[in-house]
Amino acid sequence: MGLIVLDPVYREERERHRLARALPSLEGRTVGLLDNGKRNSDRLLDFVEEALRRDYGVREVVRVRKRDPSRPASPEVMASLQGCDALFTGVGD
Amino acid sequence: MRADRPPLKSATYWVADALEANELFFREGWTDGLPVIPPTEEAVLSFLEGAGLSPDTVIGVEPVRGRPISVEKVAINAVMAGCRPEYMPVIVAALRAMCRPEFNLHGCTISTGGSAPFLVVNGPVRQRLQMNATHNVLGSGNRANATIGRAVRLVIINVLGGRPGDLDRSTLGHPGKFTFCIAEDEEDSPWQPLAQERGIPEGASAVTVLAAVSPHQVMNEWTRDPRELLDTYVAAIRANMLTYSIWAGNYALVIPKQHREVFAAAGWQKADIREYVFQRTRVRRQEWREVGKASLVSQDNADREYTALHSPDDLLVVAAGGPAGGFGAVIPPWFGERSVAVTELVELP
Repeated sequence: MGLIVLDPVYREERERHRLARALPSLEGRTVGLLDNGKRNSDRLLDFVEEALRRDYGVREVVRVRKRDPSRPASPEVMASLQGCDALFTGVGD
Repeated sequence: MRADRPPLKSATYWVADALEANELFFREGWTDGLPVIPPTEEAVLSFLEGAGLSPDTVIGVEPVRGRPISVEKVAINAVMAGCRPEYMPVIVAALRAMCRPEFNLHGCTISTGGSAPFLVVNGPVRQRLQMNATHNVLGSGNRANATIGRAVRLVIINVLGGRPGDLDRSTLGHPGKFTFCIAEDEEDSPWQPLAQERGIPEGASAVTVLAAVSPHQVMNEWTRDPRELLDTYVAAIRANMLTYSIWAGNYALVIPKQHREVFAAAGWQKADIREYVFQRTRVRRQEWREVGKASLVSQDNADREYTALHSPDDLLVVAAGGPAGGFGAVIPPWFGERSVAVTELVELP
């Protein structure tokens, strides 16, 4: 006899996002650093910027800060990152 | 169900019986840690009838990750939670409210701060669903209160991906993350119901949702002075501003009958309570030195005064609780105004 039960989980109907192809090198590139707005996240990104410039030959770093860590980046913030070849972001706390 | 309703889209699983269904659901991480009612197609169809909505209707879209919340998935999770079909309109209204941008559903779901949606139901639907507004109102014992709140939690887990350790990064969470839903005791209250204060017409039903941390129970049975009584609630709010978050937002007060009688005797309305609490819930940053947070006190901010509420209207005053006992509750917001309380009409089919 048995039971047939329904799946309670939302499943993506199609792939909404695709990973970008990795850059072969950061040499001479422009890299964005998106600060999520949490306390001390700027210090972490200072360290990342230093490493990018010193060890990876990054040409330009674009630093942008979100106003609120628990909300998405505003359209203005996203627009300011348009020219970047790569972007670092994450949760600093 | 109407013959022309769209077919259900969810995948199906065959299991031998309800026990095996539960083992499957536990194994897959589809529950809150408690057993569930197996969501069979027959049960889910009856819940769609209860909602009066087509299964492919999208109740709302979680704005950050863009996840749609369909009636079909809500019905499945509501069956699992132990609801009855007629609870669906309240669950749908709560989820609609939570999808409003100002509620910041993604932020309050994933935060280490560990909040839960606190639901307050107003209007005739409370009686139709036999909801509890009196004894043990913040505790266990009433099917509608318990399972409506639980259904919302299961939707967060299964539809939004808010599993602990996955998207839900709560450090502690709190017991309200199992369920956190009450009705207001409108019949035994001298005051205008919460929903009407927030713009819902008299005679209509509504649910108000607040992203909240755990309730702080207060006790005062030794005064007939409304100010003194409120000073006890104020002390709990100030304690929260010192020990948890200093930022202003929506606080809720759950005021029991014994306290309501004190206010009624003095002629105090909810507006009087809100104004008094707004004036009294103030903290200077330098007080953080006394609670181990001196590192956040500087010359610039030491004298700055912080209020628990941006305005008196930020305070949600709810009449609920058993008939005896001077016990009330302060329910603080998750994190200041990062999430704003939302009230949504319950649309009955």
